[in-house]
Amino acid sequence: MSAIRQGIGTIQLALRAVSGHGGWLAGLLLTAVWLALPSIGVAAEGTATGPTEYRDIPYIGSRNLVWIVAQLHLLLAGFVLGVPIFAWLCEVIAWRGGEKRYDKLAKEFTKLLTSAYATTALFGGILLFLLVAFYPKLMNYLTDVFFPSFLLYCLLFLLETATLYLYWYGWDAMQYGKLKTLHVVLGFLLNFFALFIMIVPNAWATFQSSPVVISEGTAIERAWAATWNPTWWPINIHRLIANVVLGGYICGAYAGVRYLSVKNPEEREHYDWMGYVGNFIGVFGLLALPFAGYWLMREIYQYNQQMGITLMGGFLSWLFIIQAMLIGVLFLGSNYYFWLGITYRIPGSEGKYRRAMLMMLVSLLLCLAVWMTPHSLVASIEEAQKMGGAHHPLLGVLGVMSAKMTVSNLMILITFMSFVMYWRAGKQDTAGWAKLGKAVMGAVLVLASLAVIVLGVWGYFVPAIVRINYFSTSQVLIVIFVILTITPLTALLLKSAKTTTEMVWGSMPPRAGYALVLNAVMVILLMTLMGYARSSSRVHWHVYGVMRDSSPYAYSPALGSASLIMAFCTFFFCILVAFIFWVATMGDKTKAAAASGKGELPHGIPAMAGGAPEERQQG
Amino acid sequence: MSEVAQLQLIALSIVGFGILILLFIRATFVRVTGFVFIVLGLFSLMSLAVPQLASLPPAEEKIDIASIKTPTDIAAIGQTVFFSKGQCALCHSIGPSESARCPDLKGIGAKLSKDFLYESLTDPQAFVYQDYRHGGVPKEYPATMPRIDKDPIGLSKNEILAVIAFLQQMSGEPISVSLSDLEIPGPAPKAPVKAAESALVAEAHSR
Repeated sequence: MSAIRQGIGTIQLALRAVSGHGGWLAGLLLTAVWLALPSIGVAAEGTATGPTEYRDIPYIGSRNLVWIVAQLHLLLAGFVLGVPIFAWLCEVIAWRGGEKRYDKLAKEFTKLLTSAYATTALFGGILLFLLVAFYPKLMNYLTDVFFPSFLLYCLLFLLETATLYLYWYGWDAMQYGKLKTLHVVLGFLLNFFALFIMIVPNAWATFQSSPVVISEGTAIERAWAATWNPTWWPINIHRLIANVVLGGYICGAYAGVRYLSVKNPEEREHYDWMGYVGNFIGVFGLLALPFAGYWLMREIYQYNQQMGITLMGGFLSWLFIIQAMLIGVLFLGSNYYFWLGITYRIPGSEGKYRRAMLMMLVSLLLCLAVWMTPHSLVASIEEAQKMGGAHHPLLGVLGVMSAKMTVSNLMILITFMSFVMYWRAGKQDTAGWAKLGKAVMGAVLVLASLAVIVLGVWGYFVPAIVRINYFSTSQVLIVIFVILTITPLTALLLKSAKTTTEMVWGSMPPRAGYALVLNAVMVILLMTLMGYARSSSRVHWHVYGVMRDSSPYAYSPALGSASLIMAFCTFFFCILVAFIFWVATMGDKTKAAAASGKGELPHGIPAMAGGAPEERQQG
Repeated sequence: MSEVAQLQLIALSIVGFGILILLFIRATFVRVTGFVFIVLGLFSLMSLAVPQLASLPPAEEKIDIASIKTPTDIAAIGQTVFFSKGQCALCHSIGPSESARCPDLKGIGAKLSKDFLYESLTDPQAFVYQDYRHGGVPKEYPATMPRIDKDPIGLSKNEILAVIAFLQQMSGEPISVSLSDLEIPGPAPKAPVKAAESALVAEAHSR
């Protein structure tokens, strides 16, 4: 218990140190780090007998400091890798579809990259120095294993920086003809290098959880073996999708905050539209994210069952209840934003869709309730005796993976249908096959939902390995099938549809802006929470099963005390992002006042949700 | 006031601060910050409301051979190892449990010999009773039991014998682990973990 007390005490001290002065949190933290740095080595161990294994700093503690800096670096990295994907997608939409507003949006976000990259690199540098200072033995070992990849990483950074400069500074010069094509290629290369900048350090991180070590061979062979470890690709895919989600929702939050503060109707329209695009891209990624997460967990279980059980059945099991709550709020927030859009942006649609929205809300809440049902309840001895154990006779049935997989798939389906509903709102079908098409879509949806539920119930009666390997994957495939079937069918149907109600941008109530901010905060919290889970799954190992953590911090703190650090990281990251946005858009106000023109402002058609300008003319 | 209660107070203050901002401040950015405070405070309160479990590193059981007088003493050490460093209870139950992922160990000491238990713990794939829940034809699923004499668990021979003694005692069987089976530890400390010796690493490498 002393370790827990030490952990909680450290947080309290850190919080007290920060809150006691009532000053600027970021400034205080950096000052504290700066002041504490000379004292590194006070707690150094084994200086007289051998090389130093660990160093510590007073008050904050080396582990907490590394935790905060690493988390911030990772969040910033997710941001700077997510934004180029977001920007490039918008640029391609503008390039292919001819809607200039997407190009403007892409440029607006690319502008952030230069300052965001610098901030990310700054935190990366601080993290590296702290790791070398606090964990020299571990870093020495990792350097020995991964040395060739360090060189590759440096090369990638050079390529990425050069591409970013060309992409950003060449934006205006490469607007037309073949130069625009070249610019789009540059955007692709930017993302291509960014992908490798992500997956190279992912190898270092995943190696710590699922190491593959060979002692023979050249340095490159050893580094390659360590890189291609069992959880490397699941993490790569998971983080790639998560970065898209983060980029989308942060764009949405930025638009939400601007929407709340602007008075100019044209700007209201613009930021309302930007919020929609951000939320759309966030939801687009969010629908795929649970699949990637499921694959990752499956690989972890296959790699080492104990690690899987530690994560989902051991001391981290309650973490997944918190995770369910966060994801549930994210799903609710995203759906709520769609519903607000239907209600306020598409006049006349509210009455038509009110009943469907209510049913969706109830279904989402029921699913969330099941997802949040813990396997073992917190109960007194008397309560447990009355129940006949820690598992509630009824609720216990809902607390297992079979139920949770089912409801998470249903929530994905509901969210997808919210999007389709928004897409179709204000349109009247004119195609001859519209009736048949809608019947097919309805049948696909109903049958898929039934199949997901049947597989979920059946999952109770088969061995876990059958459920994990066949039933759960089938559920996932069914949902993917629904998305891949209904999306093109809806697009085809709407191609010839008549617009009955013009989309009205800038008419959303203020709570829409707060919903966008809430979604962004939920995503950031989720990333910090799962970072803690991933790190804690290694338990008392720096490199699982290979290099033991023998420092005083060789324990994972309880969720409650850890949550305060997560909350701090989330808040500090939000402040950093706000600062980056503020710096990047400093000169825009004067420029915008001078060159305000309605030509590039949004009109009545949403992104991906209402067809192309030609349809407007037809309508 | 308990430590958790203190942290809850901090989280509650964050929520309260956020509410005050929303009530009295008009500036949009500050109001959004207040809203974020409320969300983060509620998140912390929720996290503090669930059972607070920390993951501590396993205690190193120092088996003092001189202090062991009877097989019961060995079984007592085994019980500690079973629930801590050995991580046996992570997967196995003692007594029937619907949530158990692995065989119920109640009475296992009566069914299996000491040598068989030792082999099952150090070479789990040597003899696999597949799909333990059902009799009949073995199924195709391999055992996922790790070698517990290798890292990351890495029990010593004495610790494994102690666990076997505990399993026998728990089954109401006479403990067949004797004092003479235990190894007398040498003066040198345990060598640092070598990657090549780790079963986990070897297994991962072979994938």
